Amino acid sequence: MSKIPFKNPGWAGNVGEYDLTEEQVRGIDFVGVRPLEGGHAAGSATYPYMLEEKDPEGPLFEGPYQARFEKILTRYPTKRAALLPVLNLAQEIRGHVSPQTMDRVGELLELSSAHVRGVATFYTMYNKRPVGRHLVQVCTNISCNLCGAEDVLKAFLHHTNTEMGATSLDGAFTVIEVECLAGCGFPTCVQINSRYYENVTVDEVPRIVAHLRDKGAGLARSTGPEGEG
Amino acid sequence: MGYPYSHENEVPILSKYFGDPEARTLNGWKERGGYEALKKALNMSPEDVVEIVKASGLRGRGGAGFPTGLKWSFMPKTKASAKAKVKPHYLLCNADESEPGTFKDRELLRWAPHQLIEGCLIGAHAMGAQHVYIYCRGEFFEATQVLAKAVEDGYEAGIIGDDVLGSGKKIDVTVFAGAGAYICGEETGLMNSLEGRRGEPRVKPPFPAAVGAFGMPTTINNVETLAAIPHIVGNGGEWYRQWGSEKSPGTKLFCVSGHVKRPGNYELPLGFPLKDLIYDVCGGMIEDRALKAVIPGGSSVPLLSAEEAMGCALCYEGVVEAGSMLGCASVIVMDETTDIVHQVMRMASFYSHESCGQCTPCREGTAWVTTILQRIEDGRGTEDDLDTLVEVTEQMTGTTICVLSDSVAAPVQSSIEKFRDEYLALIRRGERLGTA
Repeated sequence: MSKIPFKNPGWAGNVGEYDLTEEQVRGIDFVGVRPLEGGHAAGSATYPYMLEEKDPEGPLFEGPYQARFEKILTRYPTKRAALLPVLNLAQEIRGHVSPQTMDRVGELLELSSAHVRGVATFYTMYNKRPVGRHLVQVCTNISCNLCGAEDVLKAFLHHTNTEMGATSLDGAFTVIEVECLAGCGFPTCVQINSRYYENVTVDEVPRIVAHLRDKGAGLARSTGPEGEG
Repeated sequence: MGYPYSHENEVPILSKYFGDPEARTLNGWKERGGYEALKKALNMSPEDVVEIVKASGLRGRGGAGFPTGLKWSFMPKTKASAKAKVKPHYLLCNADESEPGTFKDRELLRWAPHQLIEGCLIGAHAMGAQHVYIYCRGEFFEATQVLAKAVEDGYEAGIIGDDVLGSGKKIDVTVFAGAGAYICGEETGLMNSLEGRRGEPRVKPPFPAAVGAFGMPTTINNVETLAAIPHIVGNGGEWYRQWGSEKSPGTKLFCVSGHVKRPGNYELPLGFPLKDLIYDVCGGMIEDRALKAVIPGGSSVPLLSAEEAMGCALCYEGVVEAGSMLGCASVIVMDETTDIVHQVMRMASFYSHESCGQCTPCREGTAWVTTILQRIEDGRGTEDDLDTLVEVTEQMTGTTICVLSDSVAAPVQSSIEKFRDEYLALIRRGERLGTA
């Protein structure tokens, strides 16, 4: 076997034999920018809800978010079924789901506070505490683990100067361990806010961290280990 | 074709357009023959569609391998004459891909969203479902955006909605995003989650076909199962049987991860030799190191030793014969540098984290197994611990509502049986037989 092709545009994952850009791998070229008010109700519950800018005290569900909230309600036979999407929406605005947020969501959906808290604490993607601008979640489950994920996790902690689960002093990073992200063929798989960073190696970590610091989580431009493209 | 690498032995049906960005647009999909099978199905009676799926022998791709046609036939029939009185029926698509080692559904969502939508619509027609919910795992933001956009395009083109392709049928499709819980991949856990509850599995019976989502007749299928439907309905049941074995017909996406040169998804006929998958399709082991163990079906099935793996045929019955299960065909390959004890401990801690806590054997068992394995890892283990682990995991098998508890028993028991020397080296001499 001759050399195995390896290209990783923008850390979107190895494209191997294929000639694809980061936008194509991530689907951004196809999806474009979806409207804040939710677009068609069928997909209104699927937005990215981990954004860089967060407003922890922000009003819940006003303006375009009100429109999205109402669209979500139209898709289910019960109000309760809107609970997960609505908590997602709240987290998109506020960055985390506080007990106050849970209570407000409960009022809006006519659910008891106990029920909402029971649900919100069951699911790991609801941040119960504020997190940094970039929430870095490193998969250390088996497939990534076999390929060095624990070292990648250590490298992220080192280069962001944080401890596991804590937020860096400048508020930029929170680094946590996460269970399998279903990117097992692209180890190590890291989720940073709403995006996957794949085939991340220890050597790539400083560049990813610097990139996030400088340019935010917008589109990364990299062609993989060989250098900046 | 395989992504990110292809191979000449592949039979690309579901994966034909992986890596082709044009295929995810509606026009691109139509140019590639998309939605012809849906037209064909809408001109057939629902019963006839179910018969085609039954004839194909397609088995559920989520892990259990239950025959899809049979599952569909459990749904109560909707009679046209009594239309007004009929309860709503639901079809759920399980895109909560979270079994460690599995990464096929993400590729199906992001490269061929219309293939899945077409499969969902055909399934909804066959079972009289008026609403399809596609439950995507919350982490899949990017893939979910692609799917949501494709659904929007489908509504705009009249393929989804009040009058599907002018047939007079009303079928809605909603894309739902979960919030991070492995257990929501269990079918009744998923239903609870969709209903806005904790994703705790339900006691069966009643089965979902009688009392499912929102208390209504419901069928739930994996992404890969539904993605195969348009091809089966378009080409016929017998066509699908030209690949695979009598008991495992068709093709399957194999997710290969771990210590191979070319990891990725490959679509192969069922029954393909595991040896060829590793050494030919995936280009062999990284740095040509020796193989130590293979997990053939995601982290919840027993490990195979290198020797067992070499004779294993990758079909449902073949993997059982070799001593494990095909599961969702997530092949995790481990070479000689692998520290088996550490990896099993990592798997156990995963299941402990993901246990929903309803059943005592699982809640307590997963936690204790992890604690004992951690103790062995830290060099404080005793030989009695191995017997304790076997005893505890035996009590965790078949004693709970769902199979999460059994899932931790599989890697623990099989590793103690097949790699006992690794445990003993660590316990007796503090020596690790793997170095990774």
